[in-house]
Amino acid sequence: MSTEESQPVHSRASEPAQSGLAIETHGLTKRFGERTALDGIDLRVPRGSAFGFLGPNGAGKTTIIRTLLGLTPADAGTMQVLGLPVPHDRARALKRVGAIVEEPRFHMHLTGEENLRVVAAVRGPEVRERIAPALARVGLSERAGEKVKSYSMGMRQRLGVARCLLADPLLLILDEPTNGLDPGGIQEFREMIRELVEQEGRTVFISSHLLDEVEKTCDAAAIVDRGKIITQGAITDLATGGARDELILAVDDPDLALRTLSQSEFVSSAQRSDEGIRVELARGHADAAGINAALVHAGVGVARLEPVRHSLEQRFLEITSRLDADLIPEEVRS
Amino acid sequence: MSATIAAQMIGADFLKLRKKRGTVVWALVLALAPLLIFFIVKALQHSSNPTAHSPAGGTSGFIDGLRVLAVFFGPLAAIMIGTDGGAGDLSAGVFRDLVVTGRSRLALFASRVPAALAVCWLVITIAYIVVVIGTYALASGASTPTAGLIVNGFLFTLFSTGVLCIVAVGFSSLVGSRAAALTVLIGWQLVASRILENIESLGSSRKLILSQAVAHFSPVSLTDSGGHGPRGGATVTMSTGVAVAVVLLWLVVFLALGAWRTRTMDA
Repeated sequence: MSTEESQPVHSRASEPAQSGLAIETHGLTKRFGERTALDGIDLRVPRGSAFGFLGPNGAGKTTIIRTLLGLTPADAGTMQVLGLPVPHDRARALKRVGAIVEEPRFHMHLTGEENLRVVAAVRGPEVRERIAPALARVGLSERAGEKVKSYSMGMRQRLGVARCLLADPLLLILDEPTNGLDPGGIQEFREMIRELVEQEGRTVFISSHLLDEVEKTCDAAAIVDRGKIITQGAITDLATGGARDELILAVDDPDLALRTLSQSEFVSSAQRSDEGIRVELARGHADAAGINAALVHAGVGVARLEPVRHSLEQRFLEITSRLDADLIPEEVRS
Repeated sequence: MSATIAAQMIGADFLKLRKKRGTVVWALVLALAPLLIFFIVKALQHSSNPTAHSPAGGTSGFIDGLRVLAVFFGPLAAIMIGTDGGAGDLSAGVFRDLVVTGRSRLALFASRVPAALAVCWLVITIAYIVVVIGTYALASGASTPTAGLIVNGFLFTLFSTGVLCIVAVGFSSLVGSRAAALTVLIGWQLVASRILENIESLGSSRKLILSQAVAHFSPVSLTDSGGHGPRGGATVTMSTGVAVAVVLLWLVVFLALGAWRTRTMDA
């Protein structure tokens, strides 16, 4: 997305926070017949952050977005958007919310600019002047006069973002926003999200099943599965979870290294692995330099000493596999 | 909601419909082609045997042209436009994008009606101009209708097509599918209501048929065409009060159903 030629749709998201949360739900529940799509969701999305809503397909990501936006009613629970209760104060709350639900859809027989005019007319008279800056912001000014049916999927995604920007949004809700984008488009999209958050102070709520995408774009995330929030928090906290600090070592004498490490107060456990020696550090003694010194002192040549990076993907798989295991009856597991 | 926003929303709906070339072109074809065929055929008949065939134009030609437009094909064009106006946002999948603006769903529904009427009446006005041109250009010395009849005929044409257009907006908003609404309404208008109005055993209940109530307001007789022109129109007599009530009933019921569905549906 073009950033050089773009003009700001709004210099900085105005109307400072009345509450510290852009989205807050308590016990949000939605059922479709016998199936419970949302099961008592308690969600807290801090303002001024990129927040990932992560879960496998069918976990309830789109349902919570549709419920928050009033596209479908909730069966129980409470919701606040930008500090305003919805659906009670829905019109005021959504006035400064831009959203793409599922894939962005348009009137194919109209041009990109005409499609934005349609939404601007619904939003209010002051919105029309934001059309040109919004199109410039997403790099579509040159193609704005062409019918949307001639647009690529990536261009439609960008036009969808431009449509969101018409609201001068304090909160953007984007449902699987990188679907259909090529790698270059995904990179541009990430940069745009970070700009919206860091330079313009907006909150961006991104639902995705792409862990890598959320990890690279978002500050915080919630992991949802089978209609329940499993965990939520800062990305770094989620990725590490309760895991201890670990190191991977490559040494010239693994046996001597293991003997030395087993006597070290810094080490909780050490064992051979495909990558070398995997060392779990003792709590409160996360001192890689101390380990290195002990090994060198014992005469072990250390070729590599690397902290293990816990990815959100690992954490996500740990959580969901634990859930799968919980669902398997005891007798089957045994 | 302010008048400015309402006007903008109607303008946006008008833009959506006006730019839908397929719908507008086919509505124009439906409204114009039968008239052109009618006038051309009658003109050829008259020129080949003036004693056996009256002129294509004049008062007689005007009344026949009015029947073709206001009773037969104008309502079909109105249904085409009305169904598109009612279900256009849903068919394109953009209804939810309008709902997430926070604007009232009833306002979104309400703006469809005047926009559809505007496009419908634009098409019908063009067709009516063809009727008037044919009436005078092909009069061949026969008497021509008075200015009052021309104006009343125009108002009746706008009325008969406008009512169908509004019903179509409400019905397609209710059904949520333009194709389904179009099929049902054209089937009703062309086949079902024609059959029902001719079943005498139904008695006065036939007054509830919309086309019968609308025909009550025609400035010319729609039952007697002198054996030359198209027939159709009122076969059931009713008072003006009953006709007004029946037309209002159709409008209120379908507008209410369309508004209810727009307000309550999962977007």
